[in-house]
Amino acid sequence: MKVEVMPEVCQGHGRCQERCPEVFGTDAIEGKCMILMPEVPPELEHKARLAVKNCPEGALVISSD
Amino acid sequence: MSTGRYFPSPPDHVPAGRMHEFDIYRFSPGVNDPLEQWGSLLASDAPRIFYTHHNGGHWVFLDYEDVREAFRNDSLFSTYQTPIPPIEPYPVMQPQGVDPPEHKTFRSLLAPLFTPVAVEKMKAELHRRSGVLLDAFAGRGACEFGRDFASLLPTGMFLYLMGMPEDRLMEFVHLAEVFMRSNDDAERATNIQQIYTVIGEYLAWRATRLGDDLGSVLVKARDENGQPLDHQDVLNCGFLLFVAGLDTVTSTMTFIWRHLAHNHAARRALTAIIDDREKLSVAVDELLRMHAVPNIYRRVKKDMVYRGVTMKENDRVVLPVSVANRNESVFAHADTIDLQREINNHLTFGAGPHRCVGSHLAKTEVTVALQEWLRRIPDFEVPAGAEIVGHMGPTLGFNRLPLVWTPAA
Ligand code: HEM
Ligand code: SF4
Repeated sequence: MKVEVMPEVCQGHGRCQERCPEVFGTDAIEGKCMILMPEVPPELEHKARLAVKNCPEGALVISSD
Repeated sequence: MSTGRYFPSPPDHVPAGRMHEFDIYRFSPGVNDPLEQWGSLLASDAPRIFYTHHNGGHWVFLDYEDVREAFRNDSLFSTYQTPIPPIEPYPVMQPQGVDPPEHKTFRSLLAPLFTPVAVEKMKAELHRRSGVLLDAFAGRGACEFGRDFASLLPTGMFLYLMGMPEDRLMEFVHLAEVFMRSNDDAERATNIQQIYTVIGEYLAWRATRLGDDLGSVLVKARDENGQPLDHQDVLNCGFLLFVAGLDTVTSTMTFIWRHLAHNHAARRALTAIIDDREKLSVAVDELLRMHAVPNIYRRVKKDMVYRGVTMKENDRVVLPVSVANRNESVFAHADTIDLQREINNHLTFGAGPHRCVGSHLAKTEVTVALQEWLRRIPDFEVPAGAEIVGHMGPTLGFNRLPLVWTPAA
């Protein structure tokens, strides 16, 4: 599974990092999403998927399963 | 003082079918629970977008999608000059009261300081503070929750983060309360002045002894050209931090603790997961969904027809997030508290460019308070016969919440 962030939609709320800190980080400038692990390993897929669904802006996409 | 530049139009443009009787500052007879007062709108015959003539006249949005849209669409809905009832002059809070892109200056100053990772580092201090407060009364078997705990934790933490001396704690608790609870024009004007004075005096004092606290960050901040930020804007940001993060957390906690006092199963369920970080995080999100306290205001930016409704420039809009959070179309069994609700896009902290900068801090304050409290006081209740009186306004809450329990031997 692969995840991507749409930077122009992301508002830096950090819900992704809160839900799945292994895959999602926040930058030190505006607190916007940085994908730490674009290629999500199987054991983290469920967590990463929930993080994607909990993004308040809908800024995260699962680009391939 | 300018004369009503940002005041709403008289409601000639509002058809009778869009009018609904509702005062955001008042209860209906017989109601004293603010969430019940707002929640009753969803089951009522009120149009999903309605206009009330109270408090200067304003719209109210009830649908999740409309509330979310108003939060996110700054080309239609502005945060600039929105108070209800309208009052001028009104502080331009930074970054809350300015639309993008201008809001970015202060937003990017604050955002990195409150990311999940940054807030993680504040946890130890929150545990310590919660413990100190609790140890003062846990053995007594009774407290007034708002006064003894829920106001002192976030206010004390705010002073600590700002680098402010803590001897004026009670004064600040009071100032923050009046700001969120009063709709009396004279009282509001004085209160705003008092908060500015406190913030201004503090930042001037801090400027001569810089540290790594939030106050110093504000004083030291520079724009892209290396110039100090406008002094008034810096005060406006200090002002916002003061009013955004104190009474909101206090009120949220009183709702959650009232729920737990009445609900044995919820206390057991939370106690069972109290050290499970992920499960507790999901549970607290659900408690935040069902105990959302803010009613956020917007001002219509230009004459428009929004979802078939004619709106005029400067019309006010109230976004009751507690109502949005109970839309059945978004949340299955919306009225049920499901501590395992894994997908939970509640609007308690808003959405879009102004979504709460302090959301992780607020959530962590609630989480740590629950952990420390339930460890010492696993069971507690509202004493029989006690009357709990809530209040309406921009932040919903309870004036008092007496609690009793059997102290540990
Ligand atoms: C449970 C407690 C809290 C709730 C329910 C809450 C809710 C909100 C909401 C709904 C907004 C959006 C306002 C708008 O769209 O106009 C907001 C903004 C804001 N909140 Fe909170 N908040 C809470 C606690 C805090 C805390 C503890 C802080 C301290 C840092 C804080 C700082 C802010 C700031 C600075 C903004 C303005 C952000 C901007 O305009 O970009 N809040 N809050
Ligand atoms: S939760 Fe969404 S908006 Fe927030 S940082 Fe992550 S991707 Fe961006």
